[in-house]
Amino acid sequence: MSSARGSRKKRSWHSKRLMQSAVIHAILLLFALIALFPVYLMFNAALKTSAELFQSFLALPQDPQWKNFGFILNEQGYKGALYNSMVLSTSTMILTTVIAVLAGYGFAVYRFAGKQWLFLLVLTGLMVSETSVLIPVYQLLQDLGLLNTFAGMILPQAALGMTFGVFLMTTFFKDIPRALIDAAVVDGGSDLQVLRHVVMPLARPAIMSLALIEFMWAWNSFFFPLVIATKQWLMPMSVRIIDFMGRFTFKYDMIATTTVILFTPILILYLVTQRSFHRGITFGALKD
Amino acid sequence: MTRFNIRPYLFIAPALIYLGVWIFYPILNALALSFFDSPTGRSRDYFWVGLNNYAKLLGDDLFLKSLYHNIIWVLLSIAIPVVLGLLLAALLAGRGRSRLVYASVYFIPHTVAAVCAAIVWRWIYDPSIGPLNWLLETIGLEGRPWLADESIVLIAVNMIGSWSYFGFCVLIFMAGLQNISPELYDAAMIDGAGALQRFFYVTIPLLRNAIVFVLVYTIIGSMKFFDLIFVATNGGPNEASTVVGLRIYWHSMREGRFNYAATMSTILTVVILVLSVVVIRQIVTEDEGD
Repeated sequence: MSSARGSRKKRSWHSKRLMQSAVIHAILLLFALIALFPVYLMFNAALKTSAELFQSFLALPQDPQWKNFGFILNEQGYKGALYNSMVLSTSTMILTTVIAVLAGYGFAVYRFAGKQWLFLLVLTGLMVSETSVLIPVYQLLQDLGLLNTFAGMILPQAALGMTFGVFLMTTFFKDIPRALIDAAVVDGGSDLQVLRHVVMPLARPAIMSLALIEFMWAWNSFFFPLVIATKQWLMPMSVRIIDFMGRFTFKYDMIATTTVILFTPILILYLVTQRSFHRGITFGALKD
Repeated sequence: MTRFNIRPYLFIAPALIYLGVWIFYPILNALALSFFDSPTGRSRDYFWVGLNNYAKLLGDDLFLKSLYHNIIWVLLSIAIPVVLGLLLAALLAGRGRSRLVYASVYFIPHTVAAVCAAIVWRWIYDPSIGPLNWLLETIGLEGRPWLADESIVLIAVNMIGSWSYFGFCVLIFMAGLQNISPELYDAAMIDGAGALQRFFYVTIPLLRNAIVFVLVYTIIGSMKFFDLIFVATNGGPNEASTVVGLRIYWHSMREGRFNYAATMSTILTVVILVLSVVVIRQIVTEDEGD
């Protein structure tokens, strides 16, 4: 039996809990709004006319200008830039993923002399940026005659994500039970067979995560393409946008359209494969 | 004794050779270039100048300023998105499905290319038609020319970086929190620990791995970033937001002073290496002290 006093106390405890939960929800929602607002602005601006934009950035478009997209893609020739982005990201993704899977398998499954040191050496690659290697990479590409070529954009870009890839694959492969691999070896499987038929199927989600992240990085990449692709026909989307901005500073609606064209494929990819993205991003951070 | 096995080396060889050509060789080459100079622009008739480039750098106010801005950027990025990410992850802990929805929404800005983020935020900050000043003026505060004011431009641009980075931090910390068993919290509650105490004495210590990772990742990212500032301000106004990446780009691609730019690259690499090692060592030592 609870006294009146007790229940009042209980009620105040309840209302305190309720308050607390309301405040937490408000905070969580506020940051969700902050996260989404610029994205809203981007899409909103892309669908307005310039005149409408200058009246208000916030209001929804009265007459959505879908033709902005056709204008940018066809008349301004951005279809080509989109194609360039696709070639750059797909090639970078494949190159990085294949090499990282092989190295990850080597590091995770075997014991060999110098393993720790070699792994550490690979990891130091994480600390290297485009700007740290710009000049030698530029000169190397020049010597190889690869400035203003797809290969010239892809080769250094793939190196930037490779350390992460090797790290991620090694961590994932280490989680595969040794017994499975040993059993396959006893059954007479060669290394590549074991990798293909035993390890790969188990690691498919991990490889998928890596491939997605590498694709996103290459898609959004800017620095190497800016330096290496100075000819308009080769520029990927990210660099063409800046080119456009330089020439039409106040064509906000058109600039917005170009940003939406760059962003939308990645947004869709992310929304469809969130779990895979999340797994790839968090895995490396939390193992040892 | 097992006999020498070549196979593991064959598996890792492609990665090592690839990184060797595109990462390690360039790093060493940049170091080598820093001791030379060339008579004109991009020519490669190098002559030895010893530490001359480094001496010049020490007298280059603009370079020192840019390095200082990078350090400020590291601190701002830890103070804002990392701390925010930690708090939001703590608030999300123990929630059901809504937790994942929030985390996904917070992560969306991280998928926006820095180039696009910079463009959109330039509109948000626009002094005449931008929504930020409109909002401030509506609630009776004074708007400012955010990206044109030397005293606040760096913070204003960092807000763009924070916007795209905090969701990444939430994700890492949230995953880290999942590994913490709820019994620890129950035990702390029974011992009379309040929410704040639980946060500081249970959550933080157990998230140490995630925190080290995020700190090192933040330092590296903050020292080397380029795209965002290049598009948002290109270092202006009056170089108040210039960073090392911009200086390197400017001296090499615009002025053709490759050796001078390579010297900056070398310093950048060393600074990143030293800062990362300091953070890792600091936290590893604490670990041994436990």
